[in-house]
Amino acid sequence: MASIKSLAASSARSKESEGASTARPGRSRGGRRRALFTALAVAWTAVGVFPVLWMAVMTVKPEALMFARPPVWAFTPTAEHVRHVLAEGFVWNLGRSLVVAGLSTALVVVVGTPAAYAFARFPIRRRDDLLLFVLATRLAPPVALVIPFYLIYARVGLLDTYTGLVLAYLTFNLSFYVWVLWSFCRDLPVELEEAARADGYSPGRVLIRVVLPLLRPGIIATSVLCFIFAWNEFLYAFMLGGKAVETLPVAVPKLITSQGVKWGELSVVGIAALAPIAAVVFVLQRHIVRGLTMGAVKG
Amino acid sequence: MTPAGARPGGGEAARVGWFPYALIAPAMLTLIAVGLVPFLYTVYLSFHEMRHAQIGDWAGLSNYRALLLNPRFWHSAGVSALFIATAVPLAFGLGLAGALILNRGICLRSVIIPVRFVPTMMAPAVVAILWKIMLAGSWGLISYNVIERFGILTGTSVLASPALALYALVLVDVWQWTPFMMLALFAGLQSLPETPYRAAAVDGATALQAFRRLTVPLMMPLMVVIGLLRLIDASKVFDTIFLLTGGGPGTATESVSLFVYKRVFDFWDLGPAAATAVVIWVMFFAFANGFYQVARRKLGAF
Repeated sequence: MASIKSLAASSARSKESEGASTARPGRSRGGRRRALFTALAVAWTAVGVFPVLWMAVMTVKPEALMFARPPVWAFTPTAEHVRHVLAEGFVWNLGRSLVVAGLSTALVVVVGTPAAYAFARFPIRRRDDLLLFVLATRLAPPVALVIPFYLIYARVGLLDTYTGLVLAYLTFNLSFYVWVLWSFCRDLPVELEEAARADGYSPGRVLIRVVLPLLRPGIIATSVLCFIFAWNEFLYAFMLGGKAVETLPVAVPKLITSQGVKWGELSVVGIAALAPIAAVVFVLQRHIVRGLTMGAVKG
Repeated sequence: MTPAGARPGGGEAARVGWFPYALIAPAMLTLIAVGLVPFLYTVYLSFHEMRHAQIGDWAGLSNYRALLLNPRFWHSAGVSALFIATAVPLAFGLGLAGALILNRGICLRSVIIPVRFVPTMMAPAVVAILWKIMLAGSWGLISYNVIERFGILTGTSVLASPALALYALVLVDVWQWTPFMMLALFAGLQSLPETPYRAAAVDGATALQAFRRLTVPLMMPLMVVIGLLRLIDASKVFDTIFLLTGGGPGTATESVSLFVYKRVFDFWDLGPAAATAVVIWVMFFAFANGFYQVARRKLGAF
């Protein structure tokens, strides 16, 4: 109830503010200003996105023209780079990345969801200290964590295993998930749960039947971000992985050989790693801000 | 500040007694296993002599002393400090400018926002590829068309220049994180109350006055929180530096993260590496605590 009301209020406010800033200072002047700012924003976006587009073009650009002076804009596309990447088995790297990111995200959702809910709803002793511990785990520098992980894994034989990498990813992803989903849980109206309790639901049934369905958008947004973090991760995969669990980001340095850099193939790998992320950004834009600011901004 | 359902009366609390703890137990135990245990192990290592990855005798504070006497450590601290001091304010300023423009009710906003956001979500490895293409040798797109044309540097890559390599990395970081700043600040601007601005307009305040007297104070807690978060992330930077320059040329771009990495995996110098890890860990905890307190007290976020 409360969340619906506040949503409606905020959308009304944003409409109002858009109207206010465009319509108020006389039609033509406001229109010109608006056009000017739009042009500015478009130009600024173009500058920011240009390197990505350039890389996308390089996936089909013939080797000889890649660094031509001055730069060549028109050419006959070639499938050579894509073919090489496929021949060298980068599809397997892609598959491994999917497995690692998928497994670690699934684990995080199962373990983290109840905790986030409990922190939002129940009086827990030393709650603030526990939450600060969660946050500190999230913000800890990975390069400091990878040392003990490496030494412990070397001893127990977890180096270069899926289990090892998925466990290591829990460090930053589980803490992130609990922290951000906690912020979504606090927004849930408590009345429905109280009504369910009055109907004689046990606390466990309330969680499964009432809370989880309401929380689904938050769970999806947060877990997709976890997936991206695992998908993008480099340092742990580089240090704790190996031949068996070589994820896509780790495959990148392989293409920078002593004989030279395979630019076209690098671009193909880059675009392959980027495509799912770009898709997600379009779907989740509002929730991403909330996630990346650890719930400090509602987005 | 406390959520509505946090204190559900005495009888109720007794009834749910063990239940919340059962809900948090799996997550907290996991985090202890993957967060606290490795940390304590690092602390333990830092007080011992390490030889070829074997734990030797108790070493007291000698690892810490060796670290503090190592000029290369202080050099890397300086590199990190310079990196943070240029990259974070730049991304912040550009992000704020972008947020103010977005807030003017421009057209195409729903397209511009996600498109602009793509760099922030990119894998550091992909960011590295991208900027290698832009800045490679003297023939990368920017190397040749901008840097050589204006005579800033000829015949080599900025990434191989001891004087400029760090600034090239700053450019990459700013490129990647400005959109994040922009969107977070934009979300903050959108949630500001309307009334003070109406009152200011009635009083004949200029746009600049309204910005300085209203927007800045109202946004301050949010700006501090976002700035702190970015500061924490910027001081952890590893992947892009590792892939673009590897800390070089020489040690020109060797940040603290790279210093630790090289101690461990190039030199197997584990004692001092563990000591460094503990030092930066403590520093990060202080930052994290600062973020938590400001976000909680001033922003009412948690």
